[in-house]
Amino acid sequence: MYTRHHSRSITLAVILVAAQPVIMNLAVAQSERPDFSGVWQTYREPGQGRTSGFGAPDSTLPLTEEGARLVGEYQQLVAPFRDNAATYCVPYGMPTMMEMVAGYPLEIIQRPEQITIIFEIEGETRRVYMDDKAYPLNRRFPNRQGYSAGRWDGDTLVVETTSLTDGQDQRNFPHSDQATFVERFSMETRDDGLRLIDYEMTLTDPVYYTEPVSYSARWQPLAEGQILAYNCTEEPWFKLLEMRREQLQAGEPVTATMADVYATRMYEAAAEGEGQ
Amino acid sequence: MKALAKTMATAALALSAAAGFAHHSAAPFNFGEPVVIEGIVKEIRVVNPHTFIVLEITDDERGTRDVAYEGMSASIFYRAGYTTDSVAIGDTIQITIAPRFDGEDGGFISSFTTADGQVIGFQGF
Repeated sequence: MYTRHHSRSITLAVILVAAQPVIMNLAVAQSERPDFSGVWQTYREPGQGRTSGFGAPDSTLPLTEEGARLVGEYQQLVAPFRDNAATYCVPYGMPTMMEMVAGYPLEIIQRPEQITIIFEIEGETRRVYMDDKAYPLNRRFPNRQGYSAGRWDGDTLVVETTSLTDGQDQRNFPHSDQATFVERFSMETRDDGLRLIDYEMTLTDPVYYTEPVSYSARWQPLAEGQILAYNCTEEPWFKLLEMRREQLQAGEPVTATMADVYATRMYEAAAEGEGQ
Repeated sequence: MKALAKTMATAALALSAAAGFAHHSAAPFNFGEPVVIEGIVKEIRVVNPHTFIVLEITDDERGTRDVAYEGMSASIFYRAGYTTDSVAIGDTIQITIAPRFDGEDGGFISSFTTADGQVIGFQGF
């Protein structure tokens, strides 16, 4: 299986996991289950840098012929502008939002019947419906974050996500609408009391990949623990009102549209001109 | 007359373009070579997706002019310590920017140094 680990501390992780008491496959009482509620950021080793919102899939991904074609096509579509969906205020979707792009945090709100995951950018939200709370498959319609059903495997939260729309634009793990994600969330508490979430994601997609691919990361609590507002689409709307207000005050017909707003993008011409 | 009206409307749109809207790619900016710019704050909006500032800057080559800059998001700057009291119109501040590749005025802000010397943000990218 192709695996990508976000942290450089794989060895440490192995030691820490091995040092934990083995929990047999017994039903863990609800009160003993970890509480993932809180605001989390990527765990970084000292000196480890931030991650950008821009990027491309790893060249070693086990792509099918069709997957390789689609990845190549997408790069041709966006590389000249070095942009992505978020450039146009479109939420990142799965799985990019779970990779905490550009260092923005993720909030988890845990209730017994539903676990809610909120990414700061755009307040992008996933809802994980636990056990029998999930809709049957024929009531789930495809969307960018998919439909997520959760269950407990001992003290590990297991989330299966399907009903996704096309994910050719996903940053590191592009996928088709046939994709299935299985994520495992587990909690560890270090000797110094720091709680860390170990996150593992496995993507299976017969259109793009010859075998399952996976990603893992560790998350630590965000200092002060608050998600801040991030409303990307508010500015262009205000800009449109401003343009119309200027027309109104000049005694002109109010004709400005969102196309005029986008026509004023400060660096659009430069972006096109750079070409690389 | 209709043509004149259209001209005026176009002029109004062009004027408002100076205030700028953009959530955009990083392509125009040279993140590898940040530079520090000092100027007098004429306008500042620390908002999402991109902070927007107009500074009056002066140099020998191009004299004194107002330049618009964009920068990291409000949530990034506020989490780094920015407050509503940090910068006021008329303050002389410094900004660290990724300059434009094309050499024109402008750039993408990663940090402020406020009038009282507080550094907020990141010195690089």
